[in-house]
Amino acid sequence: MGGALPGSRTEPDSTPDRAAEESQQSREAEEETREISRRAVDLARHYAGKIEVVPRVPVRGLRDFAYWYTPGIAQVSREIHRDPGLAFDLTGRWNTIAIVTDGSRVLGLGDMGPEAALPVMEGKAMLFKYLGGVDAFPLPVRVKDASGLVETVERLEPALGGVNLEDIASPKCFQVLDELRARLSIPVWHDDQLGTAAAVVAGLLNALKLTGRRIETASIVLLGAGAANLATARLLKALHADLGAMMVVDQHGILNAHREDMDSLMLHHRWKYELALSTNEGRRKGGLPEALAGAEVLVAASTPTPGLVTAEGIGSMAPEPVVFALANPEPEIWPAVARAAGAKVVATGRSDFPNQVNNSLVFPGVFRGVLDARARSIPDEVVITAARELAKGAEARGITPEHILPTMDEEGVFPQMAATVASTCVELGLARVHRSREEFLALARERMERPKRLAEVLIRNGLIPPMPPEPTGNPSGEMEEET
Amino acid sequence: MTENAAGAEGAGEGETPPVHGVRVRPATVQDIPVMAGLLVRLKRLNEEFDPLLKVREDAEERAGKVLQADLGQPQSLLLVAEGTGPDEGKVVGVSRALVRERPFYLPEREGVIQDIYLLPAYRRHRVGEYLLSETVRQLKGKGASLVTAEFPAQNQIATRFYAKRGFRPIVSTHAKRL
Repeated sequence: MGGALPGSRTEPDSTPDRAAEESQQSREAEEETREISRRAVDLARHYAGKIEVVPRVPVRGLRDFAYWYTPGIAQVSREIHRDPGLAFDLTGRWNTIAIVTDGSRVLGLGDMGPEAALPVMEGKAMLFKYLGGVDAFPLPVRVKDASGLVETVERLEPALGGVNLEDIASPKCFQVLDELRARLSIPVWHDDQLGTAAAVVAGLLNALKLTGRRIETASIVLLGAGAANLATARLLKALHADLGAMMVVDQHGILNAHREDMDSLMLHHRWKYELALSTNEGRRKGGLPEALAGAEVLVAASTPTPGLVTAEGIGSMAPEPVVFALANPEPEIWPAVARAAGAKVVATGRSDFPNQVNNSLVFPGVFRGVLDARARSIPDEVVITAARELAKGAEARGITPEHILPTMDEEGVFPQMAATVASTCVELGLARVHRSREEFLALARERMERPKRLAEVLIRNGLIPPMPPEPTGNPSGEMEEET
Repeated sequence: MTENAAGAEGAGEGETPPVHGVRVRPATVQDIPVMAGLLVRLKRLNEEFDPLLKVREDAEERAGKVLQADLGQPQSLLLVAEGTGPDEGKVVGVSRALVRERPFYLPEREGVIQDIYLLPAYRRHRVGEYLLSETVRQLKGKGASLVTAEFPAQNQIATRFYAKRGFRPIVSTHAKRL
């Protein structure tokens, strides 16, 4: 989720002709994606890594090493030995996280293994730094089973202020997150679950407001039972959504407590099993068409299958339904088609349509917040606060059917999210440092601003080389010489 | 042949107080098709634990015949859990047991619980316990002074369910494919 496709932002109207045009647009976008993919490989070769470690301290001469390393550092070590909590004050632990993956579900590519996951984790680390001011280490690990992964991350804890789990296959990702949340004394986040779910919930809060609905009574259909939707269901439950009226549809149809695969789910996927027990009280059977009939909200986060959701399906929903079609790169239904079929609010995972549901809206602010509070954990309660703050952030420019979520350029929103997250951690007794919301806000602004200034300076001074010119005829030629 | 008993998932301590929502009664011939379906669900669950418990394609048809045969036998016990409330009259669980003689051991009459299965929606509400206690009570009524249960060795859920109710392993079945 959240992979942004290139292309200009459009404000499509609601005619079927427009739908044809959008398909054309999507073909163009695909071509552009192919172009970008080619260049991304060249650029990866050119820059050979997207992040690097730089000192935070002045080195006036070799004598200064006596403070930063031996003999002076021995005393710092002794201090921390006496009080391990001091690691957050005397080292960079307060701002350091690991981006951990086993490479078992890289983007939409499947089990790519840890080596192939590295460029993705590196890119994520770059985003963490640039958007959130967080020092993130990309750490793909060679571990297959859930308990091995849990153990590995547990052993990394002493160096870290937080953990971001990334691109781990379902249902393994649920077990890993649950166990690490219980075992570690630092926040553990799985972005494919929590980041996406928080963005979905934020968008839903505003979409429901726009359509005069309440989360407690709305009838919601979730299409897809992967990491994002299962986490969305969990957050919706915490927000008192009517789970009995909710329907979850996977490749075998509507989940219900009597379904034939229930015993298998009980043994192999207890998160989905629980959802089957608590949703669909009426035990409706069938597939997506049966689930959509009369429903008010559709959140589709499925394996990309364009056309999975049809205009008829949207037409069978309650009047003015809310439709989130989040599959990337091709949404389950094109926005114009959904709107022509009656959808009042449509969101996708793409940046070239209005209402992009993207975890980049969430993780920088959330991590800035938990790190500034030096939080011990990040429970769903905090995630919900972040989602509410994101929803509130959209209000600055006004909430409309084309603007239920802030865009990435509404930068004022993210420090606010960080401050709210940090304050919530204090209120819940999870914080190691206590400050007022205003103080957290000032800290977040400064810390989220710093990497942009840093990049500016490095680029201006040529320490980050400029982007090589776009190749015209023969793509990679010139650039390879530099590596 | 390995028989079994399961469907008792999570009926542990700290669970909600008894909300049965079912009544247990002797099975009738009309129940056989639904019971056969539930038995096959149980066998498919067992299949998850061991490849030597692979379910045959015609298992449901055979289950119907087995149940039909059981129904007339005095040593057999077939009970169903029938829903009340929204599932009024619907068979949501089944227990299949028999009483047999032990020629060499004492006590000499053994009640054997071959299959217990409950639909997932009825688990965790002590329905499994209720169905088990009714089964045990009626086996006792048929003269059993020992009750045993058979289920796949790897089924930890069943192991815990029975252990919690005072059952312990007395014989093991060890298998090897030929």
